[in-house]
Amino acid sequence: MKLELFNTFRDTAQENGVIFYYTGAFSQNVVAAIGDSLKQRLDSVNTSSAARRKVFSTFVEMAQNILHYAPEIAENDGAGAPAKYGALAVGRNGDEKFFVVCGNPVRMEDVSRLHEKLEPLRQMSIDEIKTAYREQLRNEDHANDAVSKGAGLGFLTMARDATEPIEYSIAFASEADGGRADLYLRATI
Amino acid sequence: MEDLHIPASNETPEIRFEFSRHCLSMHGESYPENAMSFYGPIRSSLQNYLEKLPTDGKVEVNIGLRYFNSSSTKLIRALIGMLDRSAESGPSISVDWLHDADDDMMLEFGSDLKEEHRSLKFNTVVAEPA
Repeated sequence: MKLELFNTFRDTAQENGVIFYYTGAFSQNVVAAIGDSLKQRLDSVNTSSAARRKVFSTFVEMAQNILHYAPEIAENDGAGAPAKYGALAVGRNGDEKFFVVCGNPVRMEDVSRLHEKLEPLRQMSIDEIKTAYREQLRNEDHANDAVSKGAGLGFLTMARDATEPIEYSIAFASEADGGRADLYLRATI
Repeated sequence: MEDLHIPASNETPEIRFEFSRHCLSMHGESYPENAMSFYGPIRSSLQNYLEKLPTDGKVEVNIGLRYFNSSSTKLIRALIGMLDRSAESGPSISVDWLHDADDDMMLEFGSDLKEEHRSLKFNTVVAEPA
């Protein structure tokens, strides 16, 4: 990357309020390291402890989603060891709302399931989200769900801590890419 | 039975179950990637303790979790459920649920737990700033 381009990259991040950005392989160690660093960054930001908790919570839900659901992909045409890839950014619009965004590959067979979980959340009021959260919390059938590891509460937790509906988009990669899809999520806190 | 002490880690809370004094506490943050492997053993040791608890026993529980992730949520609630079932059969079990003064969600979570577990003396308490 040319130095001028790096400068532009840095300016763009700053103009858009980016506090933290990571792209690459996700592992438990990476998530722990980002978490520590993010906590320190948030501690130096002037905001309430509740907002800090909610931003951190949303980061953890998104990062652990990548760890749990992203398919393992070998980079460099299969030369490197397969890993779970994703990108994640945390930022703040001026002195106001925080945002947490992520993008990661998902398996094609999970796409319809993701739509089914995410689309209804966008239509719900905060009270409806809280009710759905309570119901899911008391739902003992979860053991039958072979895919979800967040006790079915992951997206509801994000929605509950957000001040606006969770935005999402699913982009389909080319056929040549082995029929992969990318999930993008954006939470505003 | 032997007390259970697990020091806090980055992703898991400090567990201090002083069974000998009937004082149980959990403090910190809980977001392990595999919540079941952390809470499973805690659950078994609490179960052992509660089974031997006399009906006139008195237990004090103090829970101050600043943050927990979605996969820890049901497991934390399950611990409260175990205490509640035990309290139904006689022992007096009080639970203090600490939350940050401005964290409405943590207060609501505590209030919901209180609502659901009527055999416990359940209090939501504002935590002192760290």
